[in-house]
Amino acid sequence: MNADQTLDCRGLSCPMPIIKLAKAMKDLQPGQVLELIGTDPGSKADVPAWCNKTGNEFLSIEEGEGENKFYIKKK
Amino acid sequence: MFKKGGTLRELYDSLFAKSWPMWVGGVLLAVLNILLFVVKYPWGASGGYLNIGQNFLGAFGWESMSTSTPVSMHTVAILNIMVVVGSMTASLFSGEFGIKIAPKGELFKGFLGGALMAVGSMVGVGCTTGGFFSALPALSGGALFLALGFLIGTYIALKYIIWEMEVLPFMSTGKSYTFLAGNSKHGAWQKWLAWLVIIAVLYVAGNYNYEGSSGMKVLGWHIIIGLLLGLILQRSRFCIVRAFREPFMTGEATAPVAVIISILVILTGYTVLKYFGVGNAAETSVRAIEMKAVYASFWAKALIGGFIFGLGMTIAGGCAVGTLWRAGEGHVKLWLSALGFVVFAPIARNFVVPFFDSFLPEATKVFLPDYLGYTGSVILILVLLLFAYIFVKWNEKTGKFSAF
Repeated sequence: MNADQTLDCRGLSCPMPIIKLAKAMKDLQPGQVLELIGTDPGSKADVPAWCNKTGNEFLSIEEGEGENKFYIKKK
Repeated sequence: MFKKGGTLRELYDSLFAKSWPMWVGGVLLAVLNILLFVVKYPWGASGGYLNIGQNFLGAFGWESMSTSTPVSMHTVAILNIMVVVGSMTASLFSGEFGIKIAPKGELFKGFLGGALMAVGSMVGVGCTTGGFFSALPALSGGALFLALGFLIGTYIALKYIIWEMEVLPFMSTGKSYTFLAGNSKHGAWQKWLAWLVIIAVLYVAGNYNYEGSSGMKVLGWHIIIGLLLGLILQRSRFCIVRAFREPFMTGEATAPVAVIISILVILTGYTVLKYFGVGNAAETSVRAIEMKAVYASFWAKALIGGFIFGLGMTIAGGCAVGTLWRAGEGHVKLWLSALGFVVFAPIARNFVVPFFDSFLPEATKVFLPDYLGYTGSVILILVLLLFAYIFVKWNEKTGKFSAF
């Protein structure tokens, strides 16, 4: 999937990925897509929950080996 | 590992393919916590960190910091170690295990957070688990002030983290590494290793139980209960830091509600046990059973200790127990948090606690039913939990107190 911006959250644990995500989304234009790469298993639940809460669209998750990619579209 | 479509595979997937709802973890932890009350003493963690730290510093020749109780004979230290092992086992089964090394600034925050938690738990007499999660349903007055301290500490530390993200972004960026990771499809070795760990744990627990003496049997059961605690914590990601932090961060009420439900279950169990004096009554008096998990922290020490602990757990990203299960999952930041906690717990007890004792009012053990009766105490806790519930749900909708 093509993203307008990539946010590297590898190695970070809760709550840092969500705090970084919230900050990164501020700099995006509506409709743009952010790719978040992370290694915290907790993000699999936290990122969709954050999107749900904030109204941003959670597009998909690609599970890799120890590393997951999340795609989020700004509302 | 199991044949696709088979019933065993179905069971395996329902346990390890997805995280469990946090409140389910909360209920299961509550049941085990009630068992711990009966077997020996309600669940705690900071006493275990202290014992491990005393043994650790003693091994380096710091005699005045040492203890005569080895880690293998200390129930709380055993629980702590087994929570790490249990969480590691669960994350190996679910393919979530991996050694994750965070950027340098994060590692530093882990260690600092652990050290602050050590100071906070020694001053406040207890951490989020022993001093709050067990002590509140045990009707301890100190738990109320500890919780207030956590709330203030968490709020301030969260403000710091958000400020740091804007002004000092280098703290959480930089080189990171991941080793030995697998996922749900690759890394079958992880699952076999998990089975090996379980066999090893059962073997060790069995050795304790065959020893014969009742003290050894109690320790043996702590090995098994600790393993289960770790497993449940990792699968449900049950987290008390989140319960205090989330209302001010994302506003989600999932974690606080899970903790409230869990405390309700423990409250029911402990109240019955205390009221009827159930437990290892052969060894302790009925009054001693009533006073289980009532700590000498009322009120100023609990408030100050809770505040320092709240700062630490928010910076580290895990309370005493949250640090343990995340360490088991492979987060090196939380390894350093555990190290900071271990090293500074004995130091804090010997040097920092006397300093606070010199000017704070003397801390006492307050068992709420002595003042309000059992009925009044339970009603007080229920009303407070109801207020907490209404607040977090209202805040979830309105976002009045949340940062984003």
